[in-house]
Amino acid sequence: MLALKNWDINLRSSEKKTLWSFLLLYAFLALLILAFVAFLYYDLERNLMLQNQKESLSNLTNEQISRLKSLHVNFEKEQTYPRDERFNSAIYDSSLKQIFSTLHAKKVNLYEDIYLENGRIYFIKELESYYLGARYIVIEVPAPKRWDRKVYRKLLLYGGLIFGVLVVIGYFLLNLLLRPIRETIVLLDRFIKDTTHELNTPINAILSNIEMIELETLDSALAKKIKRMSIASKTISNLYDDLTYLVLSNHMGSHDESVDLKTLIEERIEYFALLLESKKITISTDLQENITLIIDRKKMAKLIDNILSNAIKYNTLQGSIYFSLSPEGIVIQDSGRGIEENQIHQVFERYTRFDRSVGGFGIGLNIVWTIAKEYSLHVKINSQANQGTCVKISW
Amino acid sequence: MRENFMVKHILFLLVIGSICCAKQNVYEQNCLSCHKELAVKIDKFFYRYLLKYSSEVEVKKAMIAYLKNPKKDTSILQDGLIQRFGIKKRTTLTDEKLKESIDIYWDTYTVFGRLK
Ligand code: HEC
Repeated sequence: MLALKNWDINLRSSEKKTLWSFLLLYAFLALLILAFVAFLYYDLERNLMLQNQKESLSNLTNEQISRLKSLHVNFEKEQTYPRDERFNSAIYDSSLKQIFSTLHAKKVNLYEDIYLENGRIYFIKELESYYLGARYIVIEVPAPKRWDRKVYRKLLLYGGLIFGVLVVIGYFLLNLLLRPIRETIVLLDRFIKDTTHELNTPINAILSNIEMIELETLDSALAKKIKRMSIASKTISNLYDDLTYLVLSNHMGSHDESVDLKTLIEERIEYFALLLESKKITISTDLQENITLIIDRKKMAKLIDNILSNAIKYNTLQGSIYFSLSPEGIVIQDSGRGIEENQIHQVFERYTRFDRSVGGFGIGLNIVWTIAKEYSLHVKINSQANQGTCVKISW
Repeated sequence: MRENFMVKHILFLLVIGSICCAKQNVYEQNCLSCHKELAVKIDKFFYRYLLKYSSEVEVKKAMIAYLKNPKKDTSILQDGLIQRFGIKKRTTLTDEKLKESIDIYWDTYTVFGRLK
């Protein structure tokens, strides 16, 4: 699916299915037509070959007939059927009963004029005088060696050529078919790009100003409100990061460095602390020391953020999250509502959301997937509806 | 008494004769007996029929038709021979006997099974 790669779109599985069906159908039709034409051509060539053989076969037949004639005249003295090393032959009476045969074939089609069967040519002629009662004579000779070699070679060459042309046409047809899908995605991407750009400055202003407020100096009711504002603007900020990542990821270079994962994870959990607190989610961790990865720090943070924010977003009130880090990888287990089994394979698709009551664009896991792919990390999602989801990132 | 003896004698001879004759089949009795005298052997006629009519059914049909109603037009003989022999007389055999003779005639000269 080169075409799809070129366009850099992540098609949904249903769309992919449609495309595959189209391609299969197209290839099938193309091959069917090609096979039909090839068959016609082969038939033509075979008939041509047979026509070329006709004259010499006719001469052989006449020789045999004259031998039959002399046998007929002397039949009371001589009863040996005339044989010839160049051909086999057989004679049949007018009721198509075989009088004598030296043919390989058991059955001969006497209604034909000349035909090819099992690599042998059969030539049939009707006698004018029925010597020995023979009305039909059949001559059998081996077909010229490898007469069809050239035919096959030509068929392969032209067939391949035509098929190539059909593939090119199919490519353009596919283009045509995909254009509306591509346009929709491009439109959405551009919309997000434009929107995010306008969001950046105000969000940063809000966040930095909230951080400047000293909460201890405020009374608890006000502090609570400020906290909520902080959570809300962080959520927007995250979303903003995701969107910019999505839109600009192709143009964003990676700045790889050795990242200590424990520190990073603790930092990210701290970042979500307020959100966790607001949903009364308890988080337990089991993080081993001194585990590092050579990775872009921002991207790793984004990856963790996305999984963590999903674990919070889809969790129940007073739920729990378990976060572990070991030399093999990261495990994040939540007690949320889980994903239906038949939908798991779709989670990495862009703009897929399973629950519209929760905010988001359905891009989080798509980002996880792209980042994981870039650094050859394995992402595995196990989930059971109403029991929770477990995401494993291993390396 | 003497006449009586003669009758018995003749009857005896007739019985012996018919027993002797019965050893010959219808074909030998009714066809060969006459054809032996002809200058052209009966097998030549057979192969002429074969040449013209090909299959067993056709040959037999044509022969029976000719023997029942010999005509110059339907004869397979050349004109010279016809002039020499004259057209033969209609057969006096019953259909059954005629068919039997023709069958024997066919079996005697047929090509089937004799070609090597
Ligand atoms: C009385 C003598 C006689 C008898 C009996 C006779 N034939 Fe002939 N047959 C001839 C003669 C004479 C010819 C040649 C003239 C002719 O063809 O009409 C002839 C011709 C034929 C021919 C060639 C016919 C043709 O197309 O000209 C055949 C066949 C033949 N006979 C078969 C038989 C058979 C079979 C029988 C026994 C059922 C038989 N014949 C009995 C005298 C006889």
